[in-house]
Amino acid sequence: MVSSPSDAAVIGLSVDEPEAFGLIYDRHASTMLRFLGRRAGADVAEGLLGELFRIAFERRRTFDPARASALPWLYGIGSNLLLKHRRGEARRLRANARMAADEAPAKRASGAAHDARLLFPRVADAIEALPDGERGALLLFAWEDLSYQGVAEALELPIGTVRSRLNRARARLRELLEPGGEKRGRAR
Amino acid sequence: MRPEELARKLRREAAFDPAALERGKAVLMAAIRQASVPRRWPAIAPQVPYQDIPAALAFLERAFGFREIPTARFVSADGELLHATMQFGDSLVGVGGQGHHGAVSPMHGGGESQFISVQVEDVDAHYQRAVAAGARIVDELRDHSWGERTYWALDLEGHRWRFGQPTAR
Repeated sequence: MVSSPSDAAVIGLSVDEPEAFGLIYDRHASTMLRFLGRRAGADVAEGLLGELFRIAFERRRTFDPARASALPWLYGIGSNLLLKHRRGEARRLRANARMAADEAPAKRASGAAHDARLLFPRVADAIEALPDGERGALLLFAWEDLSYQGVAEALELPIGTVRSRLNRARARLRELLEPGGEKRGRAR
Repeated sequence: MRPEELARKLRREAAFDPAALERGKAVLMAAIRQASVPRRWPAIAPQVPYQDIPAALAFLERAFGFREIPTARFVSADGELLHATMQFGDSLVGVGGQGHHGAVSPMHGGGESQFISVQVEDVDAHYQRAVAAGARIVDELRDHSWGERTYWALDLEGHRWRFGQPTAR
């Protein structure tokens, strides 16, 4: 059986043979397009996709060959590009929250702990209000299903820092789930 | 419910143009080609001043199809982009700061002191691209008696560009 070369091997080859880098695109472009789209919508994602891989190509000499997969590295480059699209991201997040609220089952008996119509928009606001570093880590973890190690590689952080960022982000969201937190939101 | 599951409920897929992947690949392949071909510096390279260099680079790429040469950037110690070089065909154009070396962006006041004439392979397609990117057309795409098809456009700071292609006589 012939196994296909690892991302690291392909990127290593591309230092002297640039065309080889096309294979990295073929392997990961659709994953990156979906990632950028979830965060910032189709238009922004389509505009950033080529840019992401162009930057990756230009930085190919700096790729750590100890990493077998290029995906976390690509997620990291994409995460940086998204920082310039914060407003679009925030809009999309709020629109997603409205959809999630509409899709949720109708409100049960009064006093139900989680009224989706109130809860989801506040989740969107809470995510939006997180510092860039925490929001980025949370969404890589929760939306892209990266492991702690994957998030750490993407954001070029020690794993302990990723853990503490995720814990802070979780704590913010957990407040919304607590009965007290919801009451505070309802009181006008 | 765990907090990250709350976040996960807001995850939604975007609806893409099916051609998006091909367009992205074209961007990458252009960069790859640029890295593969040894570059020859042309004898004359216009240096064009802009108030906003990053915006100019983005516009010139989007509207006119110029490609920045990433290794040719000049960046100040505090990270400000001072000068960049873009490639088009066998030519180069420098993108510098307003006022540097006495060169003035039309946006800074006054008109253009010159225009830059560019030969393209498909002037109709080039025109469409420029229009789609918001270039201001100041002389419409048309044929001339001397056997050329041209249009004139202003870039985002008002520099004047002429794009032409020879037509069969």
